[in-house]
Amino acid sequence: MEETPQSAADVEPSGRLGLRLASWYAVVFVMTSLAIVLLTYRLLAASLEERDQQLVISTLREYSQRYAEGGLGSLAEAVDIEQRSGRQERLFVRVVRGQSQTLFLSAPNAFSDFDVSRLRGLSGLEQVLSQTGSARLEVASARLADGTLLQVGKSTEIREALLARFRYVLTIVALVIVAVGLAGGAVVTRSTLQPIRRLISAVRGIIRTGRINERVPVRAERDAIDELSALFNEMLDRITTLIRGMEHALDNVAHDLRTPMTRLRGVAERALQSDDVQAQREALVTCLEESERILAMLETLMDISEAETGTMRLEIGDVPVASIVGDVVELYENVAEDKHIAMSTSVEPGLTVPADSRRLRQVLANLVDNALKYTPSGGRVTVSARRENSVVRLDVADTGIGVASHDLPHIWDRLYRGDQSRAERGLGLGLSLVRAIVVAHGGTVEVEAEPGRGSTFIVKLPVRSA
Amino acid sequence: MVEDDATIADFVSKGLAEAGHVVDVATDGERGVELAMKGSYDAAIVDVMLPRLDGLTLIDRIRARGIRTPVLILSARRTVDDRVKGLQAGGDDYLTKPFAFAELLARLQALIRRSTGQTEPTRLSLGDLSLDLLTRQAERAGKPIDLRPREYELLDYLLRNQGRVLTKTMILSHVWGYNFDPGTNVVDVLVSRLREKIDRDFEPKLLQTVRGVGYVLKAG
Repeated sequence: MEETPQSAADVEPSGRLGLRLASWYAVVFVMTSLAIVLLTYRLLAASLEERDQQLVISTLREYSQRYAEGGLGSLAEAVDIEQRSGRQERLFVRVVRGQSQTLFLSAPNAFSDFDVSRLRGLSGLEQVLSQTGSARLEVASARLADGTLLQVGKSTEIREALLARFRYVLTIVALVIVAVGLAGGAVVTRSTLQPIRRLISAVRGIIRTGRINERVPVRAERDAIDELSALFNEMLDRITTLIRGMEHALDNVAHDLRTPMTRLRGVAERALQSDDVQAQREALVTCLEESERILAMLETLMDISEAETGTMRLEIGDVPVASIVGDVVELYENVAEDKHIAMSTSVEPGLTVPADSRRLRQVLANLVDNALKYTPSGGRVTVSARRENSVVRLDVADTGIGVASHDLPHIWDRLYRGDQSRAERGLGLGLSLVRAIVVAHGGTVEVEAEPGRGSTFIVKLPVRSA
Repeated sequence: MVEDDATIADFVSKGLAEAGHVVDVATDGERGVELAMKGSYDAAIVDVMLPRLDGLTLIDRIRARGIRTPVLILSARRTVDDRVKGLQAGGDDYLTKPFAFAELLARLQALIRRSTGQTEPTRLSLGDLSLDLLTRQAERAGKPIDLRPREYELLDYLLRNQGRVLTKTMILSHVWGYNFDPGTNVVDVLVSRLREKIDRDFEPKLLQTVRGVGYVLKAG
């Protein structure tokens, strides 16, 4: 039921866009082509006219010379030879004395259409319209030495016929151009819009089916549309990572909370079955402690998930490393003293690192806590920090039980406890949190350890914040 | 108290009654505003997620009507943003669920003290134990006690809250300014050191452990 309005609404914008593109293309193409056609026609007409006029003027000059040399007879002879040679179309030639006494006239039959009496004999070109109005007679006049007037003219009829044919051809050409323009516009638009349509249908498919694993096809052409497709895919990747992270985190939280919840429940059940008030009090205390632990665990799990999915808000500032290290060592000072573990620090003076100071403190506290937990009495824990090229390197080294090589790859896993570390109480989340926070800062954390000789945890944070 | 969860409202109001306070409970935001308008209270506890009118809007409304009663905000959300939003809305303090009742009581009483404007003391004492805040010198039964800085902070905190149970979380954030769980219980270690200094050679024992909750400083 929802399909119809939705698909109509979906098709409209891109269809309208296509039409707009096509018509713009066609309009521009057709206008430009027509302008070129028109210009060609104008140029042709002008050059034909010029050629005719030059012919008239040069003929006039030639005939006036003839007349000057041999009089009217010579002129008539020249005109006769010229016309019989048939080299070109016949010209209008007239010699007039005074106002209207025609001494000589040679004119094609068709010239009877023209009312030559209206010619005023001005120097330069004059035009007379034919009676039918279909052609003009262009006439040049020259006053000769004896006062007679020599006139030479040419009909524009043939020129007009030529131009008319040319116009006809050009009209057909223009029509073809318009057709090609419209068709081309449609084709170009279609081929431009097709990848966009494909993109739209791919994205819509993903939205409808919810299959975020699918990707938009990217062609190899590296144009804007491919870039857009690639960006869509990148966005989908991010979304997938985020969703995976959340699902993963939710699974983990559910899994990790089941065990302490079971303990809580067991304690409460046992207390209910017992009649001993003292035992019941004990059970209540245990419940409270257990709930504190669950809460702490929940907080840590949330932190890990936030850091891993990239949703943790980091307030990055220049953190003075010495003061953070000092704070953390001071926090554990008493614990170390009680366990007879010597703690020492060695920090490069004035060293700062771009980081969230609260989170960095949390990282160090977890590492120091871990080191103290697994170092026997009489051991030593050393925290050192120095600049190494483009990273700030923080080492937390202990002389404790170390890590067995088969445990090494797993120590960052949630709730993983090596065989040796099972004796110590803890959540098993500390190192996962350390890694998550360090990675969220764009850094790395690794461990060098040997069973029985101690471990060194190495945190490297980039000097330029990520 | 404005809280829609009956169990929480019940245990908080009973606990506050035992501590000598009189509590009215509203189960939704609208009712909360009515209560705040009618009565004159020393303090209000307001949950953020409430039916009909949320906690922050409620605070906004009563502040707009000129009611200056200090407000302690309760929320199940823990991000810094929410805390800031709550305090900007006109709340005076912020507590995340789940909370220890001891912490709620301590914070509430601190709010009331602050709003009634008590002057800062120069000397704190309980029985024959005293702490001079100017010389930073502690004494028990006339004998000077040498305290390290964190021990001094802890004793100061305990003396100011004598008779009230302080949780490990409260101590951790008050003494070190840490608001995360550092794993190994550094608080236990510090408390046992302080106890060593102020209680070992003296009677009665003042610094007592409330199992499962925290610590309290009281005579007898």
